[in-house]
Amino acid sequence: MHKSILDIYRPKLVPLEDNLTAAIFPFMKIFPAEFCLRRAREEGWISSQSLVVETSSGNMALGLAIVCNLYGYKLSLVSDYACDGLLRRRIEDLGSRLDIVSAPLAEGGYQKARLDRLAEIREQVPDHWWVSQYDNPCNPGAYAFFAAQLIEALGRIDCLVGTVGSGGSVCGTSVFLRELFPEMKVVGVDTFGSVLFGQRDQLRQLRGLGNSILPKNLDHTLFDEIHWVTAAEAYKATRLLHRGTSLFCGGTSGAAWMVARNWASRHPRQRVVAIFPDDGYRYADTIYNDDYLLKENLYLSELPQHPREVNHPLEAHSLWSRMQWEQRHYSDVVNARSTVV
Amino acid sequence: MAAQIKNLSSSKPRQNGTCLRVGMGASIAQYGELFQGQVEDDNNRARRCLISLPCTAMFSRVVFDPDRSGYLRVSPGYKEKARKAVEVTLAYLNAEGIGGLITIESTVPEAKGCGSSTADCVAAAIASADAVGHRLREEELGKLVVAAEVASDNFMFHNAVLFAHREGVVLEDYARRLPKVQVLGFDTAIDNHVNTLEHPPAEYSWRQGQSFQTLIGAVRRAIRTNDIELLGRVATASACINQEFLPKPMFHDIQQIVRHAGALGMAVAHSGTVLSILLDPDDPLVDVRVEQLRENLETLGISAVLLFHT
Repeated sequence: MHKSILDIYRPKLVPLEDNLTAAIFPFMKIFPAEFCLRRAREEGWISSQSLVVETSSGNMALGLAIVCNLYGYKLSLVSDYACDGLLRRRIEDLGSRLDIVSAPLAEGGYQKARLDRLAEIREQVPDHWWVSQYDNPCNPGAYAFFAAQLIEALGRIDCLVGTVGSGGSVCGTSVFLRELFPEMKVVGVDTFGSVLFGQRDQLRQLRGLGNSILPKNLDHTLFDEIHWVTAAEAYKATRLLHRGTSLFCGGTSGAAWMVARNWASRHPRQRVVAIFPDDGYRYADTIYNDDYLLKENLYLSELPQHPREVNHPLEAHSLWSRMQWEQRHYSDVVNARSTVV
Repeated sequence: MAAQIKNLSSSKPRQNGTCLRVGMGASIAQYGELFQGQVEDDNNRARRCLISLPCTAMFSRVVFDPDRSGYLRVSPGYKEKARKAVEVTLAYLNAEGIGGLITIESTVPEAKGCGSSTADCVAAAIASADAVGHRLREEELGKLVVAAEVASDNFMFHNAVLFAHREGVVLEDYARRLPKVQVLGFDTAIDNHVNTLEHPPAEYSWRQGQSFQTLIGAVRRAIRTNDIELLGRVATASACINQEFLPKPMFHDIQQIVRHAGALGMAVAHSGTVLSILLDPDDPLVDVRVEQLRENLETLGISAVLLFHT
């Protein structure tokens, strides 16, 4: 039964342009959640009595809630305001405990506040297992099935585009794909105020990508190119995708789509795959609601045609920006001389 | 295993009282494997499996001269696995009380990863079935050969298959032949023989298990679309993973030479020392590439090479 239930979350591959295929996941995070838990069970890291714990702003929380429900583990989650009503009700209905931190910390934001709360829970319950999606190698390691599906359907792949949060999907998929296509390009999509690719930490409006901490699962040396997008741009792209194709996806899919289209148009002979991580139902009241967008000042009448070119992460701000990362280490990029101070 | 074999065929022929005749069988061999690793089944159980690179330039031929002595003799006398293959085949066919002389003539080098004992066992099983008037189906052959020699290769199948070589089970049948490739094969170590049974099976990590999953996706594509370039990439990736378990001498030098010559990839023997460089037979430059490969391999001290098409 478990296998069949997982199968309904497998991505559909949809050609959006001659050289651009979207891998449309209804809900991607179930795969790393399942694989992390399966590995923990195989290795004996958890018993049937163990409490599984994790902090997540959204989809990883639901992924774990589904898998723990299927496999019969207790689960305690820490999240923040991004975990909306729909998600909360599903998580709680699946029998998981959910803690919502109410305020960000001055240093480290919501991320740090969530980690502090998680530390308390871990202290209270000695027989616990922390999934640790940011550092657990089973998170990127889960995406072999996806790489296999892509190759089986498409053959050679020249470029993979995806939004980066934990580093799991993009790093995992590209490592497996590069075992066969070492020359494949990897393009990461981040947002302003995320530290992942060298920006300074700030409160971010666009969720589901970006991070306030650097996950171990993020291998910077895999990336050829990085884009930073704003929430307004990602949401506009998500809406344009919906209107143009009827694909009803979340904001990270919109962000991946606008970047992948840009790359695909610059490289017409290369085959590009973009990862669309979730569907749009969670965002019906926000991304798909013009009143909300206007009220939050996130309404954009038009998407920029091209990203702004930058040479250093700190040169990127306010508008869709692109930088050649060139498979460098984080420190080599960040310590490179910037034209802005 | 015996029980598994018994279950294979419900309409098993009765052989008691059949006429005996001299039976003959033959088998091709292989030159390493295009893939070797493990895949997870639906119950998340890891199953070891491989895809042989068939080689028609080598063969084993068996003549089985049966009698009613109940005692099997084999020549050359050390080919115990072939004797065992005849024994399990006759038992499977309910041919009781039959003995005889099994004569093996083989051009397949032994303990190199060319599947010499599988070739002997396949030919011996076919010959002994022939002696009692029966033709074995491929899947019967697969089971019988594994029963005779514990782990076997899979070149007895007409179609490309992913073969669980320790279970004798076809995990995936690709329903068509392997694409044609030009092969330049050689032995990486002249004095270093590997005995399949003494060589412990590789202990793959979970991470390597995941890589195999990706490679199998690529195998399906490569065979379905006749994509020999992709097949070459799979073979090289499989060789790289398995280099950790049964290292080939000069592996990285050979890899450089393969890349430099614009070959498709390389397939290694996963329990043996031979290595196959894969080339596109329709490439107009294939002869030039072969010459270049020969010259560069010579600098590594490799001069004896075998050229064949799959």
